[in-house]
Amino acid sequence: MKRKLTGFAALAALAIMAQAGTAAAQDCAVKVGVVYPTSIDWGKPIAATALWVTDMINEAGGIDGCKFEAVLRDDQSDPKVGVDAAKALVDLDKVQLLLGTVASGVTIPMLTSVTAPAGVMQMSCCSSSNRLTQIAAEGTTKGLWFRTFATSNVQASVAAILARDSGYKTISILYKNDDWGQDIAKLAAAAFEAAGVTVVGSTAITDGQPSYRAEVTEALGAKADAVYMAIYPKEGISVVREWLSLGGTQNIIGTNSLKSDEFKEAVGMRYLANFQGTDTSTPRTDSATAFVDAYTAQFGAAPSGPGLPNSFDAAAIALLAYAAAGKDAKGADIAAKVPMVTDPAGEKIGGTVEGFTKALALLKEGKSVSYQGGTGAVVFDANGDVSAPAVAWAFGDSGIEEKRYIPLEEVGAFMDSMAK
Amino acid sequence: MIGLISYIAFFATMAGIMAIAVLGLNLQWGNTGLFNGGVVAFFGMGAYGTMILGGRPEAEQFGGFELPFLIAFAGGILAAGLMAWVVGKLTLRLRHDYLAIATFGVAIAFESVTRNAEWLTGGAKGLRGFPRPFEAAIGDGFTYGLVFLALVLAVLIVVYVGLERLVRAPYGRVLRAIREDEVAARSLGKDPARMRLQAFIIGSMIMGAAGGLYVTFYAFVSPQDMAPILTFQLWAMLIVGGAGNNRGAVLGAFLIWGAWTLSGFALARYAPASMQLYAGSVQYILIGLVIVGMLLWRPQGLVPERIGKTFNDRAAKAPTNTGAHQA
Repeated sequence: MKRKLTGFAALAALAIMAQAGTAAAQDCAVKVGVVYPTSIDWGKPIAATALWVTDMINEAGGIDGCKFEAVLRDDQSDPKVGVDAAKALVDLDKVQLLLGTVASGVTIPMLTSVTAPAGVMQMSCCSSSNRLTQIAAEGTTKGLWFRTFATSNVQASVAAILARDSGYKTISILYKNDDWGQDIAKLAAAAFEAAGVTVVGSTAITDGQPSYRAEVTEALGAKADAVYMAIYPKEGISVVREWLSLGGTQNIIGTNSLKSDEFKEAVGMRYLANFQGTDTSTPRTDSATAFVDAYTAQFGAAPSGPGLPNSFDAAAIALLAYAAAGKDAKGADIAAKVPMVTDPAGEKIGGTVEGFTKALALLKEGKSVSYQGGTGAVVFDANGDVSAPAVAWAFGDSGIEEKRYIPLEEVGAFMDSMAK
Repeated sequence: MIGLISYIAFFATMAGIMAIAVLGLNLQWGNTGLFNGGVVAFFGMGAYGTMILGGRPEAEQFGGFELPFLIAFAGGILAAGLMAWVVGKLTLRLRHDYLAIATFGVAIAFESVTRNAEWLTGGAKGLRGFPRPFEAAIGDGFTYGLVFLALVLAVLIVVYVGLERLVRAPYGRVLRAIREDEVAARSLGKDPARMRLQAFIIGSMIMGAAGGLYVTFYAFVSPQDMAPILTFQLWAMLIVGGAGNNRGAVLGAFLIWGAWTLSGFALARYAPASMQLYAGSVQYILIGLVIVGMLLWRPQGLVPERIGKTFNDRAAKAPTNTGAHQA
């Protein structure tokens, strides 16, 4: 009897929730699904940024006189939980647009088993796996998939350009042992070879080890001119300390993940004179600083975690495209409007309430705009990937200094030369 | 309405898959007293085995043999059984917490292998593109969801009925005898080591079957799926449902997975806007409270084991005690 009651209660609860869903829809709110790992410390600000953008766009006029209503779900970085959240958003809340998520292992099943089959557009801030490019290239995603995270190919190419221009002949690679790290290590190895720099070793660095002596010793054995580090600051600090104490070269090229004051201070400036970093560019426009200022004003602290400008841009581009497509649009209609928001020939608009107001007005007239966001003037390719210009940076006494700006054309030319 | 049905079917499919794995765990822990702390490894072996045998070929990647679903599925189950045999041979001499730690280590090692053996498992980027069985005939979407649910429920019923018969048979009594007092069981001429290994392998194969269904459903598997949280979730299901009782195991799977997902859904809908960012953390607290509450107030689970009752019933039906022994 008790069991029957429990089952009945669960069903009743579901029914009531479905009822509440229809009731909420009547007061003119357009629901948008947001799935980010809010129960994880670095996931919370990513989600907060997406909600903040939603509020700004609502303030700027919303969609056809209605407001966007962001329905936030936590994916716990667990594929089962993320896919369930996506399924509930698509089936019960009837969203046509879903923002999320971070871990590629969660994003991919969400995309392939929920959003793409249902014709819902999905845009992620931070999923980095090149598996996503492959899936999109195969056509499984039906053009409904986008991400504002620049794929690692840009950074890998820039690292090769830097190594070549510094005259290194051989290089050793140390990479973080996850999808991002394995991916960038492979791309970088190909890029180095294309630039005439021989890769003499490639060593995986797994998180949370008490010591990296074994890995570092192995990498040192190759006696390379330089070392390429695609690792995060926490492991990076131990690895670089071991590396230098065992007599490793100070010719280091690092990825944007090492762009941290903590790393600089823990290693020490005097060992980092020959350190060169790579990053996809913060744009030449003022939009990046505008993002930092706006974020600081909103949350009382500068954006410091990973993926925040990406989350901002993902939400802004997706919601502007939704507004342009109208409140009855389906996922494919929204996806079709994305190029109108990121048209390089369009009028430049920034990521502020004024910018969004202007963008909404122009989009309603059928004119395209060029959105200038936290990660720059984002443009998507056919697979929903971002192509971006790049920068080389170094550690200076005052913090992180930008050394060189490598425009999209130069990065593109190098990547083309690799393909040949 | 279609949306609601579609979601419930999806939910039931996931819960059903986990219920199958919990049944496997119930055979190991509930009936035989083997503390398997590495459930996710056997689940994962079934998953990767099925995917490698049945998936599509890919450049620089072992596997992708495109075998028919049933063969790939059976292969995944066998792979899980094979691993259980090796692991069991090595670790089953250990008792309780020692066995738990050893099997937990196996799960961590397994996750490490899937993350690093890129040629075999695709590494961190995972394996994808399993052609879902009969997808061409049924079509993608709503109907497919229902058909897949039917498949999962069919497997669940087969496993349930099979286990019910197994544990009611003399075989099940020996398992419970070993669980309660191994020395006594041995003194009656039983071979506890062999029985424990058998139960461990059968249970692990059932977990492997759940893993095989899981990858078939998602058409994707990555090391992200191999996190220890799955072991914890399945254990929570068994404890809440009632260890030693197959009905409890199934009920626990549906209830805990329901609580896990419904709490997120309800919080997203009803928590005030200012709280939305913390809903994920609140959800963890709620789930933890349910489990702790169960352990404190109903440690035997919602549907406790009921050996005593069936035994007494049979004893009452039997003409005499000696008669019961002979039967």
